[in-house]
Amino acid sequence: MLKEKSDPVEGKLDIILAGKGICKGFPGVWEHLILDHIDIDIQAGEIHALLGENGAGKTVIANCLSGFYLLSEGQIYVKGNPVTLKSPRDGIRHGIGMVHQELALVKPFTVAQNIALGLSSSDLSFPLPEVEDRVRELSEKYGLSIDPLARVEDLSAGEQQRAEIIKVLYHDPEILILDEPTSLISADAERLFEVLENMAEMGYGILFITHKIEEALEVGDRVTVLRLGKSMGTRETAKTDRTELVKLMFGEHTPVHLERKPVKSDKIVLEVKNLEALAADEEPALQGVSFSIREGEIVGFAGISGNGQSELAEVITGLRRATKGQVIIREKDYTNHRPGEIIRAGVSHIPEKRREMGVIEPMTAAENVVLKDIRVSPFSKRSFLNISHITRHTEEIVSRFGALVSDLWKSQTRILSGGNIQRLILGRETWKMPRCIVAIYPTQGLDAKAIGHTWELFMRLREAGSAILLVSEDLDEIMALSDRIAVMSKGRIVGMFEGSGARREEIGLMIATGASKT
Amino acid sequence: MNLAYLWGIFLGSLHAMVPIILTGAGEVIGESSGLFNIGLEGIILMSAMTGALGADAAGPIVGLLVGVGTGFAIGLIFGSVCTYFKGVQLIAGVGINLFSLGLVTFWLIHLGVPGHHAVAEEARMVDISTPLGDFSPMIFVAIGLPVVIYVLLYRTKLGLKIRAVGENPQAADVAGINIHLLRLLSTAAGASLAGLAGAYISIDWLGSVTKEISAGRGFIALATVVFSGLNPLLVLLGGFIFGFFDNLAVWVATMPAVQKVIPWQFVSMVPYVVTLLVVTGVIGRVRFPAAMGIPYERE
Repeated sequence: MLKEKSDPVEGKLDIILAGKGICKGFPGVWEHLILDHIDIDIQAGEIHALLGENGAGKTVIANCLSGFYLLSEGQIYVKGNPVTLKSPRDGIRHGIGMVHQELALVKPFTVAQNIALGLSSSDLSFPLPEVEDRVRELSEKYGLSIDPLARVEDLSAGEQQRAEIIKVLYHDPEILILDEPTSLISADAERLFEVLENMAEMGYGILFITHKIEEALEVGDRVTVLRLGKSMGTRETAKTDRTELVKLMFGEHTPVHLERKPVKSDKIVLEVKNLEALAADEEPALQGVSFSIREGEIVGFAGISGNGQSELAEVITGLRRATKGQVIIREKDYTNHRPGEIIRAGVSHIPEKRREMGVIEPMTAAENVVLKDIRVSPFSKRSFLNISHITRHTEEIVSRFGALVSDLWKSQTRILSGGNIQRLILGRETWKMPRCIVAIYPTQGLDAKAIGHTWELFMRLREAGSAILLVSEDLDEIMALSDRIAVMSKGRIVGMFEGSGARREEIGLMIATGASKT
Repeated sequence: MNLAYLWGIFLGSLHAMVPIILTGAGEVIGESSGLFNIGLEGIILMSAMTGALGADAAGPIVGLLVGVGTGFAIGLIFGSVCTYFKGVQLIAGVGINLFSLGLVTFWLIHLGVPGHHAVAEEARMVDISTPLGDFSPMIFVAIGLPVVIYVLLYRTKLGLKIRAVGENPQAADVAGINIHLLRLLSTAAGASLAGLAGAYISIDWLGSVTKEISAGRGFIALATVVFSGLNPLLVLLGGFIFGFFDNLAVWVATMPAVQKVIPWQFVSMVPYVVTLLVVTGVIGRVRFPAAMGIPYERE
């Protein structure tokens, strides 16, 4: 995308919001500071990108700058004047508006009702008609189309985000902070970028938080890089590039080096014959799916999600009934067996929905890590948990996978970021070097570095003889890892390619059209 | 059976529905804000006691106000425990019930006739006499209040805020609402009405305090709130259903033909069972605040 960017030096931009030496630590939870003396400033008319991997502290900065968190140390300046923000309301009063990543909307309320909540008008008033008018006005002015009378829970993710932005704009802020705004609307991101660029031209200062380097370069005028709570410096996007930003984000550059030797064994670990199953809506989800995976082989399933990949994984792992066909694991028929039996047959499962299917959120990290092994020694002895062994085991997994968990036995899994939960699941499902792994979107929510590590892990598992079924929407991932590539469309395998000889364009076309090779 | 009999049951129903409606309508406010007060039974009991003593000392109006004040005070304690001190709502509520039961029992022992305290005739509320019968003024309060609460919750910004705090406290926090304070005041306002209900029972309706005078009405009110899906107008309906069966049961139990066959205790169980059946029959269709019962804490 080409666009003219105003030169921040010539454009005489004013600093509207600045933070100097911002520190934040949570009492008793973290031993180190989450934010360590961060300096940041946002100027009128610029989009300032805040870039960093998961757990770098991006959201914490945003919460500090908007008044949601109190600073442990440091000072915030609004137009040069020192201010103390004790609550989000203080932030709003100083013209700072924040669009939260997990949108702060009351679901059963309408858009207008959500906005009315934050107004300072009298409690006994009922300002809705006026709010509705103003929402229509704002939505036209900024190109954020939204119906003020729509109930939030009926809106799509993109619409909800627009509602949230309008809610913030309603208070006439001068600074807009957006926390990972593209995480919900990846397909619709360009449209949001246009809106933001438009707003920057009108003179707003925008802090745009992201973990994607491309987005920072595309939308930002300047970019500040954060790594583990420390600022790695601010650059003008015109004078930096991907290579430099990667170095700032991750430090020492560690290129992913995937070595691949040919599959050695002919022994089939997982075989699926003519499998059929129904989706939740009773429509056929799988129609005559057949394939096999050998020892030490990765078979990648490419295709747009919703074409039967989830159902396939569920049938194999025993979570969904097959209406026809067979699932054979190491020469034994496991069709429609219970999940527990399939786990004991040596099948690991990295599920699609990590929060719902992968972990039990109110339980701790340690409990979740040993969830599947708890019944056997040394994790438990005579029905009693072996706490010291579980602790050692979890510590090892947490450190090996670089998950950020403050207290293995105290903090609930629900407070962990998606990426950290995924690290725990990867650890739990792979430490035993299982014979077979069913992995669905295994790198979702991970940053570039962790994706690299995960790919290396999969190659090591392959080397050790695991048969891996990999479902991914990321064609790069499929191409990098797979020995063979299957393309799924409407519940059928429409093509099967040798990984080494596969051409990206050919696979891409097949995914897009759903047509098999003629 | 004749018309006069039916009218009598209807009049009785109106008087019996008052405590359920007052308590239930109040609890709708509290539950909308996300606090679930299982201690309503205890509040009714306690304010029946304090209200009676207030009325003895300074007349029925003061008695009712003492009841309201008692409810408000207990509501403040309950609310603080469940917000600022992050206590468990269920346990705080059970605590109120047990404490009230113990204290009122103890109190009654020390007031002349053990186990029973009659409110002096001149300290009782005076009914409005009409050719159609005698009506307590509180009947009109009980009919009007749900309407007022409905307007408050669904037609004012304050109501919007209360419901937001119960539904998504984090979003409300971001909108600059003081979650703890709003929850505290909502539940205390609700508890005040349970207090009014208690005082009504002793000062107006029954004219005395006995050990378990609340007789499960706090729980029936809770069930009615569930039935209503937090719509105070439906609490009105639920309250009337209970009041009606409550009276019908008294009438059936005192019929000579019945009295010989079935013990009256058995018949007086019926309104509770019927109300619970009616009320639970519709659960599942109603929707409750997503954050109900969950203490709010910023991460």
